[in-house]
Amino acid sequence: MAITAPTPTADVVYEKPSRLAKLRESLAILFSSRVAVIGLSLVLFWVVMAIFADNCILHLNSCLTDNSRQSTPWLARYSPLEQFRGANNEGPSAAHWLGTDRNGRDLYARLVHGARPVLALAPISVLIALIIGGTLGVVAGYYGGLTDEVIMRGLDAMMAFPLILLYLVIIAALGASATNIVIAITLGGLPGIARLVRGLTLDIKTRDYVAAAETRGESAAYIMLVEILPNARGPIMVDAMLRIGYAIFAIGTLGFLGLGLPPPSPDWGSMVSSGMRYIQAGHPWDALWGSLAIASIVVGLNLLADGLNEESNRYR
Amino acid sequence: MQYRKNDQPIISVRNLGIAYETRKGDIHAVRDVSFDIYRGETVGIVGESGCGKSTLAYGLVNYLGRNGRISRGDVIFQGQSLIGRSREELRRLRGDQIAMVYQDPMTSLNPVLRIGEQMIEVLTTHRGISQEEAHKQCVAMLAQVNMPDPAKVMERYPHQISGGQQQRVVVGMAMLNNPALLLMDEPTTALDVTVEAAVLDLVNVLRRDFDTAILLISHNMGIIARVSDRVGVMYAGELIEMATVKEIFKDPSHPYTQGLIRCLPKLGRGKEDSILYPIRGRVPPPNNLPPGCLFEPRCDYAREACRQERPQLRPLKAGHITRCLFAEEIDASAWTPPVNLLPLVEDKSEAEQVTDTLLSIHNLQTYYPHGSSFLGLGEKEYVKAVDDVSFEIFRGKTLGVVGESGCGKSTLIKTIIGLEEKTGGEAIFMGTDIGEKVKKRDLLTIRELQMVFQNPDSTMNPSYSVGKQIERPLRRFKTVPPDEMRGEVVRLLRAVKLDEHYYDRLPRQLSGGEKQRVGIARALAGRPDLVLCDEPVSALDVSVQAAVMNLLLEIQKEFNTTMMFIAHDLSVVRFFSDYIAVMYLGQIMEIGPADAIYAPPYHPYTEALLSAVPIPDPTAEQKKIRLEGSVPSPLNPPSGCRFHTRCPRRHMLPDGGKICEVEVPPWRETGGGHRIFCHIPIDKLQTVAPVIHVKDGVSV
Repeated sequence: MAITAPTPTADVVYEKPSRLAKLRESLAILFSSRVAVIGLSLVLFWVVMAIFADNCILHLNSCLTDNSRQSTPWLARYSPLEQFRGANNEGPSAAHWLGTDRNGRDLYARLVHGARPVLALAPISVLIALIIGGTLGVVAGYYGGLTDEVIMRGLDAMMAFPLILLYLVIIAALGASATNIVIAITLGGLPGIARLVRGLTLDIKTRDYVAAAETRGESAAYIMLVEILPNARGPIMVDAMLRIGYAIFAIGTLGFLGLGLPPPSPDWGSMVSSGMRYIQAGHPWDALWGSLAIASIVVGLNLLADGLNEESNRYR
Repeated sequence: MQYRKNDQPIISVRNLGIAYETRKGDIHAVRDVSFDIYRGETVGIVGESGCGKSTLAYGLVNYLGRNGRISRGDVIFQGQSLIGRSREELRRLRGDQIAMVYQDPMTSLNPVLRIGEQMIEVLTTHRGISQEEAHKQCVAMLAQVNMPDPAKVMERYPHQISGGQQQRVVVGMAMLNNPALLLMDEPTTALDVTVEAAVLDLVNVLRRDFDTAILLISHNMGIIARVSDRVGVMYAGELIEMATVKEIFKDPSHPYTQGLIRCLPKLGRGKEDSILYPIRGRVPPPNNLPPGCLFEPRCDYAREACRQERPQLRPLKAGHITRCLFAEEIDASAWTPPVNLLPLVEDKSEAEQVTDTLLSIHNLQTYYPHGSSFLGLGEKEYVKAVDDVSFEIFRGKTLGVVGESGCGKSTLIKTIIGLEEKTGGEAIFMGTDIGEKVKKRDLLTIRELQMVFQNPDSTMNPSYSVGKQIERPLRRFKTVPPDEMRGEVVRLLRAVKLDEHYYDRLPRQLSGGEKQRVGIARALAGRPDLVLCDEPVSALDVSVQAAVMNLLLEIQKEFNTTMMFIAHDLSVVRFFSDYIAVMYLGQIMEIGPADAIYAPPYHPYTEALLSAVPIPDPTAEQKKIRLEGSVPSPLNPPSGCRFHTRCPRRHMLPDGGKICEVEVPPWRETGGGHRIFCHIPIDKLQTVAPVIHVKDGVSV
């Protein structure tokens, strides 16, 4: 006997997730990775320190234009430039949490203020490198052939140049300033980003949805911007995190070599280089805090990148 | 088939359960599976993807990866339990007594070692045989797996032999130690149909010559029918039916098995006289199973009892077990299709035979430059992917193109759609020349030609919602005014049997079949005249495949769309097409109305293809024609007839077919638009007997 009564399957009602729900979902995944949470905490720690070092945030305009401004210290407790007479090269104490440097300046204040140039310049240079390098990479990868050859060989030539030497040449030619540091680091990071984006493009352009766009007669710009780049964002974001870490290293290195921000502004790299002399004399504090600061934020960014990587892999 | 019930089984699986640990708790991928395999017996396991077939095979040898484990039950191999053995013991056993063959031969062969070195190592490691003796045995084994020139193959690297030969080497290597049990996980899925046939022949030979117990896993009912003695059907991690191969196909007891058989196109049947019946719904994920019978939500016969209790495997009759509560009551032959599945295509009436040519291709050539010559020095070589192809497509009809991989069928449609540039010849579409790449075509031509892609996972851009992606062609071709956009998208979604909830979904939330439907909706959005389908169903499970094909037919009927349909599955192409072209090495060998292609006179290549098709009917008799060698390189195709190096019918010509090597064959007309590209005259080809004889009458 045949029993034929097809029961219509009720379709599960699906609701569009709100933006907030999507954000919550992404955050939940990020926070489920312990590595990412540690990384994020380290980075956030320095961001908070940099923002609330003094009361600058209340009158940003005068802070940015007037170098001789007197701002009230908040988290930093003292001004990074204030010299305490008779308190040179001291170890940590209740008055000076991390000790003082050879000029009697509070190391804690200098460390906290030193986060500012690092956290401003590194992301800016990476962002610029990302825009230029990303464009070159996607164009080279999508068009291929001669375009690819010309772009990539040019970038290879840049890559062949030792990085430190490249920085030195640029800073030596243009002079030490915040802008020039950004230029140097941007140029240094550009070829790597272009290579990455080109590689991703080569992979993505073989997908059927790109062919579908081509059969609709879409323009090359549309295909690159709308079809290809959004699907490369995961690896690009992870790479950018790592690159901000490298850029911080580079800023530190330049500071160490005396090519960073002109003194007396606080700078982690120059803290290490000037403190080096006193290590053997039993005052390692200057160099120690500077190195630890650089190390902690770079490690933090790396961990965060790992966490992001995990998140982007999950949705591939 | 006689099982020696008195014998001890080679392997005996008892209530096996396999679980994977995940962050969200254990996932029980395989539950409560029991069966035995005896010496010299081939057991086929069939089921759709996600049914736990591969997990089962890996579980038998406890090779489950870090997060997998056997959660319950026992595996008894030659009287000893395999559960709880140490890694080292299992390793020795796997090398010595149990051999495995996987889908992709290249994952089993080491690319940097010669084939001989790899094979000899098996013997010297596990058997302690001397180098010379091992070499001799390996050559003998290669000869046994029908490898031409075995001594020479020993000196080659894996990449120097073809895919089919690689798989034969893997099988030979697996048999070197004369294992008691051979596990084959989709051993022919990556291979072409003619190569697949040769590997399946080999499986039968192994069973005969070595008396090995074989477990063969496949999603393809045809393959299972060809080589198995007994068949187990898996569904959502459970064995739901097991019987002899003849029983399973003649008298399937479980509604799922019945559904699987019903949704396959029968070779030789077309859309005019048969319908495919897809199984509705999809396989439940292992972490969200229905409380009662696992198949209940998709079952036409479901009753209250099916919702209440999970049925157990129970004997139905001798040698036939089933997991259906009402197996005795269900009569598969009395099954009537649900009302919404009426015949899609009416009988072709003579008056309807309009011959309005939509696309005509003349001597089309598409060559790819091969290798990069430095600064244009040296002579350039070309891969002749499509060489001198001519055909016409009539409005509202479907042209199917079949051929093995590398025959140029994909390049052909890429040239027509404008993704590749033609090298010569002409393509006229509705009176306009479409010889250029898509970027140089005008928007109107672009709009009339659209394509459906093969791979459901890459057909949609993962970054955008379904609605956005269907909307884009509407916007681009200005099919509807902007304010009617959403309504039109919903209408298109409905046309491909998806409701409007799908508008905001992202591709990762869809199954393979749903993605393919969206791909079809996107291609239809511009209301094209010609839709080119590149293997649109070959990556889908059989039940979904049937649904998508029905959908394409329905759409074709409703919109009078013309289609060009590429597939490697001859039953699918036959079912779907009005006209069929058979391609080999960049050229059409035979073209004509579908029923003429599948009946004598055949082109010798078509005949060989048909004799290789796995037929889901163990009683079908099929001629055995196996092509020798592999497809020659399209860089330097054979002179004269391109098929002459492998043609099994050359002896029909005087002089052993010398002419085939020298002269390009003529097109021989048999009438009704059926043409064969062969030196052998039609009346001689006509004497060839049909390839397949099926009991219920449809011989091909």
